[in-house]
Amino acid sequence: MMSFAFLWEQVVNGIVAGSMYALMAIGLTLIWGTMRVLNFAHGEFFMLGAFLALTALLGVGLPLIPAVLVAICGVFVIAVILHSATIRPLMSRPGWDFSTIAATLGLSIVLQDAALMIWGERFQALPYFVEGIVHVLGVRLPAQRVLIVATVIAVVCVLTILIRFTRFGMALRAVASDAEAASACGVNTARVHATTFGIAAALAALAGIILAPIIAINPWMGVPPILKAFVVVVLGGLGSLPGAVLGGFLLGIIEAVGVTVFSSEWREVVALGVLILVVWLRPQGLFGKPLREA
Amino acid sequence: MLQLENVSVFYSSFQVMWDVSLAVPDGVTACVLGPNGAGKSTVLKAIAGLVPVRGRITYRGQEISAWSPAQRVGAGIGLVLERRRLFADMTVLENLLIGGYRLAGGRRRARLSEVTTLLPGLQQLIDRRAGDLSGGQQQLVAIGRGLMSEPSLLMLDEPFLGLSPKAVDEVERIITDLGRRGLTILFNEQNVRKSLAMSQETFLLEGGRLIAHGASSDIAAGDIVQKVYFGTPRSQETPA
Repeated sequence: MMSFAFLWEQVVNGIVAGSMYALMAIGLTLIWGTMRVLNFAHGEFFMLGAFLALTALLGVGLPLIPAVLVAICGVFVIAVILHSATIRPLMSRPGWDFSTIAATLGLSIVLQDAALMIWGERFQALPYFVEGIVHVLGVRLPAQRVLIVATVIAVVCVLTILIRFTRFGMALRAVASDAEAASACGVNTARVHATTFGIAAALAALAGIILAPIIAINPWMGVPPILKAFVVVVLGGLGSLPGAVLGGFLLGIIEAVGVTVFSSEWREVVALGVLILVVWLRPQGLFGKPLREA
Repeated sequence: MLQLENVSVFYSSFQVMWDVSLAVPDGVTACVLGPNGAGKSTVLKAIAGLVPVRGRITYRGQEISAWSPAQRVGAGIGLVLERRRLFADMTVLENLLIGGYRLAGGRRRARLSEVTTLLPGLQQLIDRRAGDLSGGQQQLVAIGRGLMSEPSLLMLDEPFLGLSPKAVDEVERIITDLGRRGLTILFNEQNVRKSLAMSQETFLLEGGRLIAHGASSDIAAGDIVQKVYFGTPRSQETPA
């Protein structure tokens, strides 16, 4: 029989895995909530963050913190340029909700191929940012994994302050609520969209960077996290920031406990089974608002 | 002065407004009348930059046809949208502050004080969630939000739509008061009699085309409104 201590250890491991899902899902849900765009290229910003940090740290020889900042800012700038060049022109045309999906899928392929040409197909890794073992809630964890959870908590706090208490955050909420009404108030909606897209991409890049020491860096590394992030966003409720955070942790814990109860082969089945159950009982997700009938 | 010259509007490849030309002098209250689908809201949205236009729009001597909505707000053009369109999950205070989004921080706070003095009913609503307010309260907030950007031209799209008779009277009083203070006002409304009484100039639309314009008193005295709305001039009506 499974001991409580072992189960608790799995829950803590689930929280660690879930924090990565949450970090990816936050960006995805920000873009959906503000622009109603499903960004299939989100995983590639995760990959770009890892590669840029690798280049800045090991290629250029920058110290850790400047290298991470350069990588995050680099991805922010790339995302804003890509948004202005691809998504923004489409959003002024009819049928943009479908054409933007195609555009982000295209972007995803272009970014993967660009990474392949620049960095090659060899799997690479970053060194651990922090070494050692930490005891958290009675469980022994590598310090790098604790750093991931701490980063997610810090990001959620900063984002909450940005959205609730700054002028940009107020504009973001207004655009998310009613973009035309926000325009009529003098808010530059195109700028808000571009900035939001850049922030979301920077969050994905941050996730890629802090995970780079424990997963292999390669041009296709963004594919699995984006699939999990979509599951989290639907689970938590499309466009809901608390939903993305709690959905991420929930999925991580369900997967970890599911693996313990069944076996590792059942990881995806258990997670997706719970997703189907939640969507069946509550189609708008745990924290989403019900869709209004036309 | 606001001037539209041969302005046409297309939604995708579908034309909804044809060569509309009109002029609204500074300080005048003007209304746009017409039956459903005449293009009244489209005219206001075209002026605010919310729909792409073909033709020429000038405001106070500057051509603004290619300007973004945000630039037009900065030039002094404010729009209160149909059905208020408040940001329902935000507070009244936040809605008002968004209205003054283009103003610098200090100026925005000062403007907030001016607007809540001008519309004292806002003060007791300031911390309420906008989505929880009654229709009349929401219209008050929407007008306050429109005034926050310090407009010299305030446009109101169907300001009485869905309001109780008491709220209609209150909104009418506010619009009339703003007009007396020298603000240029352009509004559209389904209530023909009230619109003609409140305005000095009237523009009559039908099927996306301007078919008559002039002093509201002259339009009220003629048969054109009757003809557009009911298809028969007043003189041909059968006595009851």
